[in-house]
Order: sequence, then structure tokens, then C-alpha cells
Amino acid sequence: MKKILVVDDEESIRFLYKEELEEEGYIVECAKNGEEALEKLVAFQPDLISLDIKMPVMDGIEALQRIREKERHLPIILCSAYGEYKQDLTTWASDAYVVKCADLTNFKSIIRKLLGLS
Amino acid sequence: MVNPLHTYDLLKSIVQLSATPLPIHVRLDRMLQSVSAAFQLDRCFLLRPEKIIEDGFLSRLVSEKKPLWVEEGTSFRKENVLPEEEGLLCPTFACIPLYDETSFQGMLYIGFSKPYHFSPQEVELLLLMGEAMMGTIRNDHLHQKAEETISELTAFYEMGKAVASTLKLGNLFQLIVTTGLKILKAKGGVLRVEDKKTRELEVKWSVGDYHQYPLDEKIARRVFFTQTPLSLNHPGEENLSFSMLCAPFLSKGKILGTLAFYDKDSDSSKFDERDFQLFQMITNQLSFAIENALTHYEISNMAQENEKRVAQLSSLWEFNKALLTTVNFERILQLTLTAITIGEGLKFNRAMLFLVNEKNRTLEGAMAVGPDSAEEAGRIWAALSQRQGTLSDQITQLNPQGHSALNAIVKGIQISLEQGQCILSRTVLEGKPFNIPSSQSKEGRLQTQCERGCHLGSEVGCYVSEHLSRDPKVYSFATVPLMGKGGIIGVILVDNLYNQNPITEKDIHFLSMFSNQAGLAIENAILYRNLEEVHQELKETQNLLIHREKMVALGELSNSIAHEIKNPLVSIGGFARRLYRAIPDDALEKRYTQTIMIEVARLEKILTDIFNYTHDESIAFKECNLRKILEDSLSMTQSRIDAGGVKLVKEFPEEIPQIHGDYHQLRQVFSNLIGNAYQSMKGQGMLSLRLHPIAKNGASFVRVEVEDTGGGIDPQNLHNIFNPFYTTRDSSLGLGLPIVHKIITSHRGQIEVDNQPGIGVNFIITLPASEKGRENRLKGAEADQ
Repeated sequence: MKKILVVDDEESIRFLYKEELEEEGYIVECAKNGEEALEKLVAFQPDLISLDIKMPVMDGIEALQRIREKERHLPIILCSAYGEYKQDLTTWASDAYVVKCADLTNFKSIIRKLLGLS
Repeated sequence: MVNPLHTYDLLKSIVQLSATPLPIHVRLDRMLQSVSAAFQLDRCFLLRPEKIIEDGFLSRLVSEKKPLWVEEGTSFRKENVLPEEEGLLCPTFACIPLYDETSFQGMLYIGFSKPYHFSPQEVELLLLMGEAMMGTIRNDHLHQKAEETISELTAFYEMGKAVASTLKLGNLFQLIVTTGLKILKAKGGVLRVEDKKTRELEVKWSVGDYHQYPLDEKIARRVFFTQTPLSLNHPGEENLSFSMLCAPFLSKGKILGTLAFYDKDSDSSKFDERDFQLFQMITNQLSFAIENALTHYEISNMAQENEKRVAQLSSLWEFNKALLTTVNFERILQLTLTAITIGEGLKFNRAMLFLVNEKNRTLEGAMAVGPDSAEEAGRIWAALSQRQGTLSDQITQLNPQGHSALNAIVKGIQISLEQGQCILSRTVLEGKPFNIPSSQSKEGRLQTQCERGCHLGSEVGCYVSEHLSRDPKVYSFATVPLMGKGGIIGVILVDNLYNQNPITEKDIHFLSMFSNQAGLAIENAILYRNLEEVHQELKETQNLLIHREKMVALGELSNSIAHEIKNPLVSIGGFARRLYRAIPDDALEKRYTQTIMIEVARLEKILTDIFNYTHDESIAFKECNLRKILEDSLSMTQSRIDAGGVKLVKEFPEEIPQIHGDYHQLRQVFSNLIGNAYQSMKGQGMLSLRLHPIAKNGASFVRVEVEDTGGGIDPQNLHNIFNPFYTTRDSSLGLGLPIVHKIITSHRGQIEVDNQPGIGVNFIITLPASEKGRENRLKGAEADQ
């Protein structure tokens, strides 16, 4: 069973992602900002991280850099409300960039691809 | 011994003869006859002074002023007698010299063939006869002199009358020569006057062809420079012999010219001393008349010149007055050309104005004024002659003739300033006027060179002769540069096509004065027009800035709202999907949840549009083919079009230049436009898509038209269509056209709306071709050639 860490400051989003991904058969753990995500990283040992960009305390870009320092090969998906960070060089360290959408089909297929399941 | 009765008869006859009006030689002859008869003489005659031979005994008698009596019983020494005189030595004779107070007038000789003795009464009688004859001769001389004086006075009177009758130089010169000719009885005469400019003597009037003889001019020059009269009797060869009188005209110490007469028109072919004196008197008298006439001539010339100058200055003043009435560029051109062509102004038949385009280094036709045909010219001139008022009134009242064919031809003329052989560009480059009398002239040959050397339509020689004239061979015209403050701003071309009046240098001079005034006014009008344009641009920019500021504020607001809404929307939509999946297919709730999903999807699209509009997305510029973009944009609507009643017309040429742009953004543009067009037609109508390359100001562009028949846009709403959130459709947010506008502007393109209310609307988009696209087109064009 693959483990996914969902990082988002919006509780409703965390809840939605957790429900959807668990239904897909993943073990899902949530964090509400970058700092919490770094804390849970060691204990949870996720196989993939979904990382929101705009968050309080520590945003997704900083969290991405910190995680990459420790886990060079861990798949990370960056999520944002719009495509505004697409051209941002700092986002290139992620494995995918997804614009949030109510329809999670695309999101889920990217996860499967990154985990080598499809 | 003389009979006393004979003495009485003799005295009576002598007294009668001296009082008769018979010619002198008849009277003297008859007197001699009477003497001869009374004394029964064998010989009796009167010797004229010229018949007395020098050194003879007669000449001795003349010098002694004493009569000689040789009679019976007197001795006469023959040693002084010359052989020619021996015939006079009769047995008895007498010689009585005839003297008046001053001079010797002749010798009365009487002779008897037989010895005779003069009685004292006879001696007294003969001396009396001598005195009577002397008296007759003297009277005759006096009479002759009186007649000569009268004839001189008559001559002077005639000359005076003649020269006083006119102040016209030509007439005066003619009168002087012809009257002088009559007075002096000469065969020919020449009057010369010094030209003040060249300092040369010019023949002003002549009778006969003497002035062609080289010596004549030499003599005249000598007389002129020495200021001394000359009388010359040239013996020379037979043909060359001539008699001449030449004298200077002197007035107040100034020399004006010379007058000369040649050869007596009588038996005595030489002028004598008396003629010379008379001639000098004539020239002295005439000098004043000639000086007066010359002065009069100069003054009237100056007066005419001044009058003309005053008229010109007054025209210029009137023209300036008219120019002050406006700052409108077109109007100033119109006023200038009208002033050049109107009868009160410069009176040219036609006038054309060309202005320099510094950017393109070309000369472009700006305006022309003039009739299109001779009939129209006649009509216009007749109407103008009826008009009243000053020049400024007339030219400001005339209406523009913008419709004339000439105006259209001239407006279409564009000549490169590098065309050194073309007369219009030469006028600008050399900065001087040209007066081209006809194609035969030296300057006119330029036209021939033009015709050979220029590409069709790029030079003026051909235009001027071929397009502006009915018969290029007789066409003459003139050009003057149009001066502005900083240099030459254009050219004015004038001609007299209809009345064929020659164009003089004075006309050109006046036209130049005119064009200098016009040049300044035109330059000011151009500056004013530019100022107005800049002002208008500033106003538009200001409005645009205000609009942008509004948009920026609106964008910031929308952006923050969009971010706040997006996350809850994603979760609403996400959970709706979960519910949808959980609810059994037959449950009513399934449809409720589906509605939530659809609406959320719509809201998400709106938020993405807002986000895209308010964010300057970096564009991925690449070489694009607009034909492909249009085909791809059409694909979304194509299926609906195919199914419904909308007819699709595509005009896509094979060759179209590439453009530099972002494929996705451009696809969004045309998807939007095609979608709008389709929706406006509500299932019925015609959708036209057109694509074509165009060239503007030397650059290459691609033009795309998206036209529908959906009834067009309400003119009231037209100015709002590119404003965000403005829509007439309930289902639209109103960001479609603003996004189109934004993308086209960021691609340095233009968007025009050809709206026909009630019919349809045509969106015309012009995008610059890429450098590569342009190069390809150029190569293509070269290959075509």
C-alpha cells in the first residue's frame, strides 16, 4: 500500500483529497502547512507528497526545497488554485504541477503515473 | 559817241532790269546786252571771280581795285598779259572790277574792234553800269542769304515741331533722322544712343545702309569719345568715296549719343561748311529733346515697374490676409493654389502642389487646382470675371474642387527624391525654380531622360508630359520650391495648358515670392495639424491610462476574490462528484448533485478566465501559421456548424506569410470570435472566414476577417464591447472580446470592427508578418519577377 502525504491549508481540500485517495487504495496522511509536512515526513515515510503552494507558516515552494534536501527522489506534486507558478523556476524541482480542479481525474492519473502504478 | 537818247534807254533798261524778279544770270545778261547795244560794242561780258587767272593782268586789276581804260592814244604794256588773256586785247577795251564793301564779285569787260575814245560822260556811264550790275549781284546775294536763313529757320521750326510732337523715343529718333535728312538733303542717316548698361553705342534709327559700313561705327565711336563733331569728305576709291557729317549729342556736359548724315542727295555730292554748321546747330538743339525723351522714357519705365511692384505687393498682402483666415492644412493648400490660378492673382491655368515626406524621402502630390478641360476653363473664367471684390475675398469665397480629375491624378503621384533626373525632385534637391518652355528645350530633354531612366509612375517628367497634357510636345510648365523655415518642404508646379501663354522669368520671380509666403503658412498648418494629432493621441492615451488603471484595480480585486473562491469551489465540486458516485442512478438526488457539478465547472471556467485576463501570462512566441490556427480554432465549432443551418465560407489562400505569436493565445482569440459569431446567428446565416496578406507602408501583414450575419452590434453598445464584464448574453461573463483585444494588442496587431447594424459584424484582425515571413514573401516576389 502506497502512502501519500497531502499538504494543504484548506481543511475541506485535505478532507476531499484524503477521501478520494483512500478510495483509490492509498494510505493518506495530511498536514496543514510546510512545517507540519516536514515534521510528518520522517514518521510517516510517504511514497508521494501533494503540496499546495499558497500556505501560511511555510509555503509549498519552501517546503519543496526543504524536502528535496532530504529526499532527492521522492515524487512531489505541486498544486495551486491557478497556473500562476507554472513559469516559476523554483517549481521545476517538483515532479508535476497541477491546477486544482473539482474533477480529480487528472490529479489521480498523475499520482498513478508517478508511483509507477499505471 | 553814245547818243543821249541811247543813254536814256540804257538807264531805263538797267533800272527796269534791276527791279525785275528774273533770275540773276538773265538779268545780268540782259544788262550786258543793253550796254552792248547802247555803245555798239563788239564784245561785252562779265567775268566771274573764278574765271580770273592768277598772275595775269586781270588779277592785278582786281587787287588794285581800279578800272582799266585802253583807248586810242593810250599805251598798254603787254608784258603782264597771260596767253589766255591775249584774246581780250582789242584795239580799245575797258575792264571795270565790281566790288562791294568786302568782296570782289566780277569784272565787266567791253571791247571795240576799232580804235575808240571814251568821253568823260561815257566813262561815268560805264562805271555807273558796273555799279548797277554790282548792286544787282549784291541784291541777289542778299536775297539768297535771306532765303537760306528762311529755309534754315523753317528747318529748325520743322525739327522743333517734330521733336516737340512726341516723347516716345522710337518716334523721336525716326523724326530726327528723317527731318535732318530733308534739311541737309542727305542720302542716309544714323542715330546712335549709348546703352547705359553695356556702355555700347546702339543704332536706334537709320535710313540707308551706311551704318553697316565698318568705318561708320569707327567714326561714330571716335566722335562719341572725343565729343567733337566731324565733317569728312572721303575721296577714296570710286565706290568708297563718301561725304559724312557726324556730331555728338551733348547735354549738360554729358554725352548721349551721335547723329550722322551721309552724301548729299544732289549734284554736289559733298557737304559744305554751311551744311556742317547747320548740322551742328541741329544736333545742339536736339540734344535737349533727346535728353528729355530719354529721361521721360526712364521715368515712365520706373513708374511702370513701380506700378507692377505695387500690384504684386498688394496681391501678396491680399494673399496673406486670406491665409490668416485659417490654420486648416487643406484650406491653406486650397487658398494658395487658388491665388496662383485666379485672374486677380498670378493667372496660371493650373497649379499643383507636392510636399516632401522626409520619412520616406519622397515627394507626394498634395492638391491640384485647375479645370479638367478647355471648355471647363472657359466656363470658370467667364464666371470669375463676373465676380466682384478683392483678391482675398475672391479666393476665400471659392469652394474646393476636390472632385477634379487633375486633383485625383496629382494626389496619386509619389516620386522618390533620389530621382535626380526628375524635374520635381530636382527642384527640391537644388532648391531653385525651373522654367521648362517646351520639350525641345535644353531643360525639356530631361523628360526624355526621365522616360528612359525611370520605372513607370515613379517620376515626374512622364507624369507631367503624359498625364497632365493633351499634347506632350507643346507642353510647357514651371516649378518653384516651397520654402519653409528649416528648408524646402515641397514644390509648386504651374502651367498654362489652355491658353498657352508663355511663362516669363518675371512670372517665376513673383511665383517664388508667393511660394515663400505659402511655404511658411503650409509649414505652420502642418505643425498645427501635428499638434492637433498629438493632442488627440494624448487625449486617447490619457483615456486609455484611466481605463487601464480601472482595469488594474478591477484585476487586483478579481484576483483576490478568485483565489479565495477557488479552494471552496474545488471542494464543493469534489464532494459533489463523490456524492454523485454514491447516489444510486434512479435517485432524484443524483440530478441535484449533477447540477452542482455542472455549475461548479462553469464557475471554475469563469475564474480561470478572470485569472488569465488579469495576469500577464508570458507568451511563448514562435513562428505560427495563421491558417492552421484558424482551422484548429474552427474545429470546436465545426461539428455544430455542420449539423445546423449556418453556412461556412472559407477564403484561405495557399501562400500566407508566417507570423510570430503564441499558438494557444491566438487559438483562444479565434475560438472566441468564431464562437461569438456562431452564437449571434442563432443557427441560421453565413459565417465567413477570410485570410489574406497585405502590405502597408512598405511592411508586410496578415489580415484575418471573421464575419457573421447575426444582425450586428447595437451602435449604442459598440464602444463597450472590449470592456471586461460587459455582455449582452445572459450566459456570458463578458471577458471573451476583452481577452481577444488584449492578446491581439500584445501581438502588436490591430483589431477593427466593421459593424452593420441589422446585417452583421466583421471583426478584422491585422497581425504583422514575422521577419522570416517577410523574407519569404520578398523571395517569392523576386522569384515572380
